[in-house]
Amino acid sequence: MSDQHPVRIDSQSVRFFHQNLFKTLVYFFALIVVLAAMYKALPLVMDAIFLIIIATVLTAILNPMVDRLEASGIRRIWGALIVFGGIFTILGTGIVKGIPTMLGEITRIKDMIQEQSTTDSLNSMIDNINTKVSQVIPNFQLDTDTLSDLTAQFFGQLGSVLAGALDTLATIVFILIITIFFLIDGSKMMKRLIGMVPNRYFEMSLNISYKTKKQLTNFLRGQLLAALGVGIQSIIGLSLLNLIFDANISGVFLIGSIAGMANMIPFVGPFMGMAPAIVVSLFNNLGDPIAAASYYYIIHIIVMFLIVQMIDNNVISPIVVSGSMEMHPLTVILLILVGSQVGVLGMFLAVPAWGIFKVIIQEVYSGLKGHHLI
Amino acid sequence: MTDKPKVSYPLFDSFKDKLKPRRSQAEIALSQVNVFGRLTKHEIRIVEKNAHIRNFAPNEPIFKQGDPGNGMYIIIDGRVGIFLDIPNQEPKQLSELHDGDFFGEIALLDESPRTAGATALENSTIIGFYRPDLMDLLKIKPGIGSKILLSLSEVLATRLRSTNSELVKVSRQLEEILGQQDDE
Repeated sequence: MSDQHPVRIDSQSVRFFHQNLFKTLVYFFALIVVLAAMYKALPLVMDAIFLIIIATVLTAILNPMVDRLEASGIRRIWGALIVFGGIFTILGTGIVKGIPTMLGEITRIKDMIQEQSTTDSLNSMIDNINTKVSQVIPNFQLDTDTLSDLTAQFFGQLGSVLAGALDTLATIVFILIITIFFLIDGSKMMKRLIGMVPNRYFEMSLNISYKTKKQLTNFLRGQLLAALGVGIQSIIGLSLLNLIFDANISGVFLIGSIAGMANMIPFVGPFMGMAPAIVVSLFNNLGDPIAAASYYYIIHIIVMFLIVQMIDNNVISPIVVSGSMEMHPLTVILLILVGSQVGVLGMFLAVPAWGIFKVIIQEVYSGLKGHHLI
Repeated sequence: MTDKPKVSYPLFDSFKDKLKPRRSQAEIALSQVNVFGRLTKHEIRIVEKNAHIRNFAPNEPIFKQGDPGNGMYIIIDGRVGIFLDIPNQEPKQLSELHDGDFFGEIALLDESPRTAGATALENSTIIGFYRPDLMDLLKIKPGIGSKILLSLSEVLATRLRSTNSELVKVSRQLEEILGQQDDE
């Protein structure tokens, strides 16, 4: 007789197994339906998602100010309206007065570059550069068409971005409306959203959402403050170059703004900010023997931007920028390459967008690990 | 002297009743917790708006031993068991908590792992008040936040004092035992 007994499965276990199998199948089917619906609906809701993302970023920037007003006893709705009114009156005035001026500056620089590209002085200068550089790098050849095309393309694209911003007034209004709702009721909305999470993941989700919000706010605020710092310093620096050396660099505000925004891109950003200043100085001073003797103030500009970078790296950034932004140079280059597929704006936004994504992933990962779920 | 009969005015009474601010079960439960003992009724209502009411099924874990501590729980309705995991053994039930009881308040202050697990023993409605909620209160309503922190410090101080007196008692007992052993 064999010692082995047949394995007995009681009816309760069978029922439990069937219930679980049924539940899993229902969830699987529901997931497929949701994914299919999302795939179909994504192009339709893409614009709405974009608006919500921009409004979320704006909320993250403005929220600390509204919180501070609420802490001082002002009701949240009034706090949000005060902050919103104040910021957007300043920005609105800036945009209404600034964008036409900037567009004018961009068109002028673009026209000047195309005009100058046909002059002899530019040709002779490029020949000079080619001769000197080819001693170090053989086969180096820079021609006027390439140079003027590159710079005109850059300023042209920048101009179309700014002009586009004016055209999409309705989008801006939508973003502002969503932002104000997020500022007033954002925490209630978030509470309701997190309330839907099952008990098992609730504590973890709450913690992740809180830490991510905190990190994102710090990150965005830091990036904006650093950009503002670099922008202001560049404007002061370029104005000083004009004042002291009579460097004849036009579009100081535009170049300063580009330098500030470009500073959000580590490693490459400072050069991107420096390039327009050099190009403008070069084209503005062509044919001027005093400027030629000073190498078209290129060295002055480089030194000025180096000083700005030193102040930013050693004074401003350590105070305002969160440490989570540390990135490998290779990552930055790859991100810029990917962003460049979308254009100049893509190059600017790729690194900060990756920074935000990185913060979210880091917090989700550490939350899941802390709760032993991975 | 005879007492005057009490005249009732149903319409007026019902109106008076409606004007009386109604306190939810959650507010009542919160006001019984010593951590919120210093808060006024209005402040308790603000805490309630920040807290989260969760429903747990029987045997559903509220948190597990070793999970990072994230906040405290107050039982509105139901029963909760506190369990200690022992390797290669069934979890040992340390205590059973009922309506109005609370647990995990120290997790409001630090994220160190939970020393024991908590599981609902029957259908339970529980308020969760977590560190992010406390941080938000400290930012937006610093008055309420600091009252809660002060009460938490008192809870800690009381526990420290009782731990110290226990330690003194145990060390005296130990000295007595060692003295007896020396005599023998």
